[in-house]
Amino acid sequence: MPVTVETPLEKWTGKVREVTLGATRDQKGTRSKTVTVGGETTLPFLHFEGSIPHPPVIAIEIQDSYPSDWSPVLLNAWGDTLKDPAEWAKKAEALGADLIMLRLRGVNGDGSETTGAQAAAVTKAVLQATGLPLIVRGPGQAEKDNELLVAVAEAAAGERLALGLCEDKNYRTIVAAALAHGHLVINSTPIDVNLAKQLNILVSDMQMEPDRILMDPTTGALGYGLEYTYSVMERLRIAALTGDSMTQMPMICFTGEESWRQKESKVGEGVPAAWGDWTRRGILWEAVTAVALLEAGADIVTLRHPDSVPIVRKAIEQLMAH
Amino acid sequence: MLIIGENIHIIAPKIKEAVNNRDTAYIQKVALAQWNAGAQVIDLNIGPQKKTGVEVMEWIVDAVQTAIPDVVLSLDTTNAAAIEAGLKKCKNKPFINSTSAEEERLAAMAPLAAKYGAKIIALTMTKSGIPVAAEDRFSIATDILLPKLTEAGVPVENIYFDPLVLTVAGSQEYVPNAVEAVRLMKLWDPPLNTVVGLSNVSNQVSHENRSLINRTYLVMLMAAGLDAAIADPLDRELMRFMRIVETRDDSTPVGRLLLHLYDTTQAMEPFDPSVVDMNDPEQVAIYKTVRILKNEIIFADSYLKM
Repeated sequence: MPVTVETPLEKWTGKVREVTLGATRDQKGTRSKTVTVGGETTLPFLHFEGSIPHPPVIAIEIQDSYPSDWSPVLLNAWGDTLKDPAEWAKKAEALGADLIMLRLRGVNGDGSETTGAQAAAVTKAVLQATGLPLIVRGPGQAEKDNELLVAVAEAAAGERLALGLCEDKNYRTIVAAALAHGHLVINSTPIDVNLAKQLNILVSDMQMEPDRILMDPTTGALGYGLEYTYSVMERLRIAALTGDSMTQMPMICFTGEESWRQKESKVGEGVPAAWGDWTRRGILWEAVTAVALLEAGADIVTLRHPDSVPIVRKAIEQLMAH
Repeated sequence: MLIIGENIHIIAPKIKEAVNNRDTAYIQKVALAQWNAGAQVIDLNIGPQKKTGVEVMEWIVDAVQTAIPDVVLSLDTTNAAAIEAGLKKCKNKPFINSTSAEEERLAAMAPLAAKYGAKIIALTMTKSGIPVAAEDRFSIATDILLPKLTEAGVPVENIYFDPLVLTVAGSQEYVPNAVEAVRLMKLWDPPLNTVVGLSNVSNQVSHENRSLINRTYLVMLMAAGLDAAIADPLDRELMRFMRIVETRDDSTPVGRLLLHLYDTTQAMEPFDPSVVDMNDPEQVAIYKTVRILKNEIIFADSYLKM
């Protein structure tokens, strides 16, 4: 006798906020398209329980000067492109990126410190080279971040860049610059749900609209704390879906940066032969880290290797098919 | 509700200085202030004091007993020799604070509790740490601590089981578990005595929110049957909440709200938000804190602003 089994469904009351990066000409920007993330009313890819209006997106990371500290695998893959941020951005767009993430190193190729004017100039060059929306990150030192990001915010006024990283000890200047020039911000906290929520509250207190905030829960790479990130993201997302407004920001994970820092990706000599081909290993390390974090709720993943992009793209397409 | 005054604690810089200088007057002042505020037991946390434990304990017990002849003390150190030195000096039967289910600690502390007829605080943790589930903490109490302590000659009524309170800032999902562990312990035959280190629930929380979190949690723990709390008796708001619950004082709106929290927690029923007057900031703050303590909303330092 046939038995009818009803799939038990979770009824969520909350929704992840929709955040739009980039502004087109008629929106006072110059982007050829905008990218919207978020809007989920269910846990990642559970299409039968709610809606996922926007697929997660891929940002390709570029840097403002030659990344000599990167893994040789990456340096070989990109070649001379790495010397010209505008060329790099163009190639990234051609490879199928949804977004470009420009990372300001803080130090130029000749060893001098990057000035605000230089950061503004490279941002403009990248904006001219690509029509994709842009994320701009500072070097990660509070004073330098503030100096460079304020200059970038002003030079790219109206472009709806995502600026980061805002941290609990340094967010006011970046938020103020984003507010003044029509940009978004990225809030970053060290793998901790309480601190993530607190920073969202603090930034919102500065009158930054919640739909102009992305959050970075801090990414661990495969084998290097991925599971901590995963569980923090899961808790934040469950809170968002149960209606906690200060956890409803879409999440961004800097997967390329984390996975290419690890020995498995960075080092090719003096490692066990059983680890296999170095290039293949590095690409898979990055792709697997990214896909795992997509499954945990990431709305944006950033990648470094050109060949990781199609792997992650295919995974997104398959996870979105229903 | 037995309040064990927590303020003589070696972590506090002024206490550390007073202990190092053998500043009898200062220790007596802190002990008396707690006693007068309603503490029935005064905890003396002197730290491990590996070298001078015996001397420090003898001095501090004498100091407090001179100032408060009727005092009941709680001797708080991992140094067994110092504990025994204190036990010899105490006029009233004191508490030993504490043992856990770790073999060495039990072997050191259980015979002392038996020999001197002292009460003993027994932490439901093993070598591998604090288990997450309420049932597992309860099992440590009934499967390890209770048999080992009674076997050593400590009567069950002298044992106070501590299910271990964790902080909302970092371990929020486990905060409700200590309430449930107390509930399980009170269902045992005979009901077990229970105690918690209350202020742990607000460790790493900004100062202005600590008391509200502590005292709201206390109401929930009392509803589960808690017998004693190591807490700050100088926190007048904490003592007010305790008194409201103990006397079932429903003469104020906040009193009625706290009794609703107490009754629903006791009956394991959901807290009804419609009893909260959303125009009264104190009631709203209590309600938000309840939601934090029940792990319904993620804690953040600014949670009251939301």
